[in-house]
Amino acid sequence: MSYAYLFKYIIIGDTGVGKSCLLLQFTDKRFQPVHDLTIGVEFGARMITIDSKQIKLQIWDTAGQEAFRSITRSYYRGAAGALLVYDITRRETFNHLTTWLDDARQHSNSNMVIMLIGNKSDLESRREVKKEEGEAFAREHGLVFMETSAKTAANVEEAFINTAKEIYEKIQEGVFDINNEANGIKIGPQHSPTNPSLPGATGSSGSQGGGCC
Amino acid sequence: MSRMFRSRSWFGGGWGRPKNPHSLEHLKYLYNVLSRNQTVSEHNRGLLVETLRSIAEILIWGDQNDSSVFDFFLEKNMLSFFLRIMRQRSGGSSFVCVQLLQTLNILFENIRNETSLYYLLSNNHVNSIIVHKFDFSDEEVMAYYISFLKTLSLKLNAHTIHFFYNEHTNDFPLYTEAIKFFNHPESMVRIAVRTLTLNVYKVEDASMLAFIRDRTAAPYFSNIVWFIGKHIQELDNCVRNDADHQSQNRLSDLVAEHLDHLHYLNDILCLNITDLNQVLTDHLLHKLLIPLYIFSLSKRITPLNDAASTNLHRLIQNRALSLDCTSSPHHENTINVAKVSCVVALFLLSQVFLILSHGPLVETLAWIILKTDRVNYEQRVDKLLERYNTEMKVQKQKIEESTSESSAQCNSEEPVNDSIMEERKNITDEEKQRLATSPAETSPFVEKPFLETILNSLDCTDNDYTSLFSLCLFYAVANNKGITSDVIDQILKPKKSFVCKSSNNKDVKYSYNVSLVDKILHIIMLACQPTCRVRLVTLDLALKLLIQLVICDGRSILLESHKLTIEAAKSQSTALLRNFYKSEEIFLDMFEHEYYDMQKVLLNVERLCMDSAILLPPTGTPMTGIDFTKRLPCGEVERARRAIRVFFLVRDSVLTLNGDVETQLPLTNPRSCVQIDQALDLSISRYNSDLIGCTVIYKDGTKMRRFLVIDILQLILVEPDTKRLGWGVAKLVGFLQDIEVSGDKDDSRCLHITIHRPLSGTTTNRIPLLSAKFVFDDNIRCMAAKQRLTKGRIKARQKKMQHIARLLEIPGQSGPPSPAFIGSSSGGYTSRQMGRNRERSLFNRCPGIAAPKRENSPGIAHRSDVEARINRNSTESPNNLSKLRNEASQISKKEVRSRDSSTSNKTKSGDSSPRMPRPRSEEIPLELIKKASTSVIDMAPKISVLSRTQTPKMEQDQSLAESSGASKDTEKGVSLISSVSEETSFIAEESEQEKGLSFIETV
Repeated sequence: MSYAYLFKYIIIGDTGVGKSCLLLQFTDKRFQPVHDLTIGVEFGARMITIDSKQIKLQIWDTAGQEAFRSITRSYYRGAAGALLVYDITRRETFNHLTTWLDDARQHSNSNMVIMLIGNKSDLESRREVKKEEGEAFAREHGLVFMETSAKTAANVEEAFINTAKEIYEKIQEGVFDINNEANGIKIGPQHSPTNPSLPGATGSSGSQGGGCC
Repeated sequence: MSRMFRSRSWFGGGWGRPKNPHSLEHLKYLYNVLSRNQTVSEHNRGLLVETLRSIAEILIWGDQNDSSVFDFFLEKNMLSFFLRIMRQRSGGSSFVCVQLLQTLNILFENIRNETSLYYLLSNNHVNSIIVHKFDFSDEEVMAYYISFLKTLSLKLNAHTIHFFYNEHTNDFPLYTEAIKFFNHPESMVRIAVRTLTLNVYKVEDASMLAFIRDRTAAPYFSNIVWFIGKHIQELDNCVRNDADHQSQNRLSDLVAEHLDHLHYLNDILCLNITDLNQVLTDHLLHKLLIPLYIFSLSKRITPLNDAASTNLHRLIQNRALSLDCTSSPHHENTINVAKVSCVVALFLLSQVFLILSHGPLVETLAWIILKTDRVNYEQRVDKLLERYNTEMKVQKQKIEESTSESSAQCNSEEPVNDSIMEERKNITDEEKQRLATSPAETSPFVEKPFLETILNSLDCTDNDYTSLFSLCLFYAVANNKGITSDVIDQILKPKKSFVCKSSNNKDVKYSYNVSLVDKILHIIMLACQPTCRVRLVTLDLALKLLIQLVICDGRSILLESHKLTIEAAKSQSTALLRNFYKSEEIFLDMFEHEYYDMQKVLLNVERLCMDSAILLPPTGTPMTGIDFTKRLPCGEVERARRAIRVFFLVRDSVLTLNGDVETQLPLTNPRSCVQIDQALDLSISRYNSDLIGCTVIYKDGTKMRRFLVIDILQLILVEPDTKRLGWGVAKLVGFLQDIEVSGDKDDSRCLHITIHRPLSGTTTNRIPLLSAKFVFDDNIRCMAAKQRLTKGRIKARQKKMQHIARLLEIPGQSGPPSPAFIGSSSGGYTSRQMGRNRERSLFNRCPGIAAPKRENSPGIAHRSDVEARINRNSTESPNNLSKLRNEASQISKKEVRSRDSSTSNKTKSGDSSPRMPRPRSEEIPLELIKKASTSVIDMAPKISVLSRTQTPKMEQDQSLAESSGASKDTEKGVSLISSVSEETSFIAEESEQEKGLSFIETV
């Protein structure tokens, strides 16, 4: 499968806010949300289309690595987008957002697009954080905000795709240095005449993938 | 991906498929599918993928809901199917492999039942999967594979480790396979490998750790070390070839990458695994930090270079021999082991000391940098380290000896470095002076090549490019938590020792590194010169380090001569700022803005050393995007900003050194300001004189009845207090200095008032605090309000400007009356009128009929005219606004001058409180007369200084640009010093002058 761009995302937030479930929910629709089943993954990839261009999203969960400063540092640096997730039914996960955001701002490159996600919007009865609070936090810190439910898949698509759109716009504006892979953006094999030997060019399973671009 | 899978899947219509996808029956069905399709082909590929995916889903469902599902999976040994499938190299296997890896990922990530996990791991299939050679050129396969390994590593603990590490076969595929990818081009893969290694080291299992140390540590660590070395050469090349700041992105990546390496090493070291740390420390010291980082500090070409390079060559060879990594690049072309530039070495060493804190490592490094002498230096790394070890042993013995002896005995034979001056209480100033300047003191440093380089780099005569890094390094070493021994005592820390006078009388003796402080003070002095090339960040750090060097037991132990130098620097920085004082009305805004800006972002050396921008030669242009403090000023405004900041920085340090607390800054004392919801007694004269009732109409149409109170610095809107008669509650407060007032051309009872947010606000929100229409009872009250607001604004600003003048020690402008001064008499007249009016007009009484008349008096009409223009133009651009404000200030200056003179005698009384009663303008002549006899004589020298400050700056710049300009400046600096240090003795003053001269001559 060839693509015009590859964007690397990370998902951050307290444990148990549903990061890995969001990830699987977005990257693999074959896993339909079912009530008595929660499945998550730490890595996933998916192709989307923006502006009639194929864009591959690679999403890396950073769970379990918080103890090591070097790891979080590197993750932030290598990503073009970040989903900062909290659980609307647990106030403390919302309270920790500032710490996460400070960390992200300190380590990431300044162009990284951060989206704030209030997850588990299906659990309205147990809600502890009002939607308005999430909105206010996002406004104050210049983030895009959305409430999602990994369980019902509500808004999950939108969250990831809107983030991608914003990154794409930044590329169009020339804000991102796309030749610099450290930004978490990679140009697809056919788009990089300067560097034809990109690893992505070889062994792509795209021969049978069919019909993109 | 998913779309493709779905479209390819022709699974939907298969026979015998149970209706419920989450059931044991379904897994049995899937088992049947797998056993009937053991060979992967074009035809069954889609079916297999969907089957493998479903298996993941069912197993997790089973784990959470029905244990029989897992039993079936284990019973049928379904993992063996997985292995069989992945080992087939037929068409499109990577397609199936990706699914297989995803299934495994899901399995190990989501499984909660521990027994299930053990069963899954027990038959060694997982290890077989780990060692399988997947097609790693496929980025998808690579990503899923490494995620799989990382997921497994997160499951490691004292129990599970035995499923992965086989003690008998001495085999640990999870770890050994993973580290093959430690230098993979894809950053996320590298991170996953690092995570995995850390997760492995974390497990407390002695035999596993022994395996890691014996079998893998040496090759793995030497690989890391080798790549860091290579990386650094790349970084060095980038710095060498980019004087034009063209590849800042590349450079910042390289710097960030180096930081990543260091943080990773630190994370390993922090796990405190003794054996591992020993190997790692050894590799780092022998093969990277000493030969490449520290030896690069020496500028001289000595035989040492060969020794160093031999070492590195040996390292490379070692590496090649022990190399068992398939993914690491070939390197037949051995890297040229040239040293890196001194700048880069200093920068990198700073990072090392800021990040790493492993005692044995940092102490050795610090010792080598600070104590290595010429003789040892000629030797190889091994010898250097040997020497360090023996030295340490000797020291240990010494300590043991001294502790065993009775504590009363004085340790008099302790070797005292010649360069260190001891301060005794009975020593005379002259003696101190002589000792401080004795030429012998510098000699020991010459014998220490590394320390010498760092000290020489502190010289900012041309620029502060390297000085900043030397300061960073000294700071980093001095503040490293891992350095606990006395390696840095006396060099980077004040030393405290006891001297016996008699048997039961001890004297505390303080000493510090005089020659280092000399050099730092030199930087500070230079930074206070008008056209120096010292950046703000360098000054900031120099001051920070200075304070650390000379504050001991909470007080400064600075020698008299050094004290005088820092005081001279303060005077010089004050004089520098005086040049910019009042040249524009915007000066006040700038002054306050810089103050709050500096409070917001305090110097953080670790942050500073993350910024690659400082690695390139200092530049003046803001086009590079480099932070203002990290570059030279560009243009007059930035020079003014710089002067303001230099003033703040030096002032703050001098206060700290003197043990004083700042009482003058910020200009607005927040504690003396009225806060929202505060109840005010409006009957006291401070508030009631200016109470005017009005209706505030907001943009959205909301109306509110309020009373307008004009305090000294603030505009307050109050609402009558319902509880107490004559009291009001503040509903809105704004600073008068931030207001804009304009009339309404259609309604003479209306005013449009905008209150801008103060610069001190923490938010960057620039939306005005208030922008509303005020409707008064009649046009007379309206005009009175307008007048008071306009006047209040001017007065509030004047008050602050006077405050600044006092800070800058600007003498009252009581010299021969300038044309402006004469002109101010009319201004004085009007203000006197106003003052009288203030006393008379009381709330609810009709303001005197005189008010509208005054509006017609020429001075005020002019002023309000300008104000009006400001309001009209305020929307256009801030520059325009400031220009207009300047005009306003030109007019208001007349009053400033007159008021200046009235308060000049209070300059020294420390009048800081904004609450102090304002001196009435009526009093001016009286005070002038009273003061005249003394002040004229007093001011005589100062006036001449002042007149210089008023010369156009262009002229000054030109003169300074010339070489002769420097000497002119010298004279000025000296004259200023002499004029302000009146209290100091005559002798001290003279020596000070010499000092000042010697400093400036080097410019």
